[in-house]
Amino acid sequence: MRIVFNRIAAASCAALIVATGCDKSVSPVEVLPPLEPSSLEPTAGSWSMILLTGPNQFTVAAPSSTTSPEYLAELEAIRTSQANLTSAQMRSIEYWSGGGVMRWNQILRELVARYNLPPAPRDEGGYPVPDADNPFGDPAFPFANPVYAARAYSYVSAAQYDALKSAWYWKYRYNRLSPAKNGTGIHAVMPISDLPSYPSEDAVISGVTVEMLKSLFPAALEEITLKAAEQRNAALWSGKATASDLAAGLALGKSVAATFLARAGTDGMRNAAGTTAQWQAMAAAVTARGEIAWTSRDIPARPPMLPLFGQVRAWMMTPANIVTERPGPPPSTSSQQMKDELGEVKRTVDNLSSSQLAIAQKWNDGAGTYSPPGHWNDVALEYVRDAKMSEVRAARVFALLNMAMDDAGVGCWEAKFYYYNPRPSQMDPSIKTKIGIPNFPAYPSGHSTFSAAAASVLSYLFPSGAGSFSLMRDEAGISRLYGGIHYRSDIDAGKAHGNRIATYTLNFAKNDGAP
Amino acid sequence: MLRSAARAVLVIASTAASISAQTPADGLMMPKRTMMAGVVYARDSWREYWEGTLKRTNGNVGRVTTQSVTFAAGYAITDRIAVMAAMPYVSTHASQGVLSDMSGIQDLSVSAKYKFASVATESHGAFNAFVVGAAAIPMSDYTPDFLPLSIGTGGSRAAGRLILNYQTASSWFATASAAYTFCNNVRLNRNSYYTDGQLYLTNEVSMPNVFESSISAGYKRGRIHIPVSLTQQRTMGGGDIRRQDMPFVSNRMNFTRVDGSVAYALPGNLSVRFGAGHVLSGRNVGQSTTFTSGLFHAHRL
Repeated sequence: MRIVFNRIAAASCAALIVATGCDKSVSPVEVLPPLEPSSLEPTAGSWSMILLTGPNQFTVAAPSSTTSPEYLAELEAIRTSQANLTSAQMRSIEYWSGGGVMRWNQILRELVARYNLPPAPRDEGGYPVPDADNPFGDPAFPFANPVYAARAYSYVSAAQYDALKSAWYWKYRYNRLSPAKNGTGIHAVMPISDLPSYPSEDAVISGVTVEMLKSLFPAALEEITLKAAEQRNAALWSGKATASDLAAGLALGKSVAATFLARAGTDGMRNAAGTTAQWQAMAAAVTARGEIAWTSRDIPARPPMLPLFGQVRAWMMTPANIVTERPGPPPSTSSQQMKDELGEVKRTVDNLSSSQLAIAQKWNDGAGTYSPPGHWNDVALEYVRDAKMSEVRAARVFALLNMAMDDAGVGCWEAKFYYYNPRPSQMDPSIKTKIGIPNFPAYPSGHSTFSAAAASVLSYLFPSGAGSFSLMRDEAGISRLYGGIHYRSDIDAGKAHGNRIATYTLNFAKNDGAP
Repeated sequence: MLRSAARAVLVIASTAASISAQTPADGLMMPKRTMMAGVVYARDSWREYWEGTLKRTNGNVGRVTTQSVTFAAGYAITDRIAVMAAMPYVSTHASQGVLSDMSGIQDLSVSAKYKFASVATESHGAFNAFVVGAAAIPMSDYTPDFLPLSIGTGGSRAAGRLILNYQTASSWFATASAAYTFCNNVRLNRNSYYTDGQLYLTNEVSMPNVFESSISAGYKRGRIHIPVSLTQQRTMGGGDIRRQDMPFVSNRMNFTRVDGSVAYALPGNLSVRFGAGHVLSGRNVGQSTTFTSGLFHAHRL
């Protein structure tokens, strides 16, 4: 009874508060204070590359001297801009001063969430296929599902990382300081370090990112291009870079992007959707082994999500590695163990506590969200921010994290479609789910694989967070049992698989020359 | 849809009382020191819904049915002031697909109704005006993040309502009413969501306020009360359901619906009420049909 009265009292207070017009607005993004890196990372130009042959694969021509008329004219242009900064320009400066790598990571997560919706069924039955040549249609392109997203995060992050290492190489080769440090009468609107400004890291990031995103999210071309231009302008207005710093950075960024896009065009993704004959053959192989094959729970039945994503080229693993690391088989669909595990799922969802439901929802990351890899980027960003990492060090974190998760996606999908194992609701239709049911086979759990790979890499990069990452990994895994969409075997196998996959990225990271 | 559960409660609020009682939304007032208690069963279901403005069905839910049992009570302190409370138990069910049913105690609403003007004439009937203040608060930790199967929107609300009522000398009446509901923000169990064209990296959802207006007319004489009404709800913000997305708690849920009911006073201070309603048009809601039946007891203290 006391609770009831308390709640009534609370409601009355709430009524008063809203009636007096309290602010209900919600701030949409993480706050990023102006970046003041704890280290400038002068050796980053020598850290191991992902795809580039070396930091000087693309040559950045020597800049004009700081006493040349061209350069002095550039400084004058900045002085003029700074004399008339509008509040909108100040907001742009403030926004981008939080760090380009982190800002683009937020933007990328937003794009994934926007495009992570499956096509709606046609009235006459069946589903249309998203078409890269008609990205504005219904369905929109892409359907940024978890593995599409894992690959997108990895390409953007890895390309940014190689581009920034190359930029660092040229920065310290030419050692031209930023206009705020170099010129008279130009002030640093935001904190500006002693990092050489030629070529501009902001322009490198904007150039490489915009090219990658144009390919991955073509329908968002306009806003991506505007964001990128804003980032470069902010660098100029704030006294961080001159026009030539920006031009050199933009060109370098675009060149590096071309290298990554060439790989993306031939990595197998274009065939990942497979053909009906191909995925029916996968199901038939499972049936031939005497197992029950997965079928779609969507109504009408939907083709499986990218059944050949397991053949897409991984970052740190060869196709042979992918097969070698594949988990052993799940419990046979006719075994007692399967029966027991099915019973556990049924009991769990039928008696779900609210704290278990909260965990299932917290880690759901289903359709319409930034996906499980996006969730781990979300987790990582706060550590990157709090560590005050330079742009190149931040890019390393996201590159290593996202390459490991993309490898996890490839490995997990290869296993899922090799075993083609049914979801609990298929084995027992009385099992109803607390979250949406993913449209692909159960074993092993993608959440567990992604999360174990992510937690391993983040624990290496941020040892102080290791305990927390492990807890999150385990929570993400068990959330799928609470949701009623995975057996315990799926979760255990996925976790072990993700840990094995992460060792490939960790072996690279331990020898990449980054202190 | 999607707030079919929450909307069911709105409907209940306007059916959860009878001729010898009154509701927070009608033009009636119980005589002083009248105590009313009742129970209302409602069944609301839809197969078609509006995804934004696009009307469609969805094989993954089929027909969504929301049933509720609401306990309601009221007391007239004077001939001009009455207080009321209602609390429903709600359960939802999808006829197709794998999504789980949800059920539980939903929100307690309390309201106070004040008749601030009353003009009666011998030949031209009577005119009455009321204001109502109401508040609602969730009574269990049900999730608002599983629409269309959530049992409610999970946030506290406060509302103010103005009611104008005209009663002819010959048993006919007409009522116009408008209400504005302030909705508090709600919190989800996840730290990010996408709605209205934007990714939000927070668990807090800004809930749009709601404006509702209705006109009703009918016949009331002796033991019989037959109102029909047209109600329009306009949500003052919020995004549309995206193509093939699940509905979201802060979606812009608009609808126009028609309702009719018959109430009859039985001997022994009992009364019964049967009603039906149907959504004519909407946005981000199901095109639902609702049936209600209620039993009430009232007596003077």
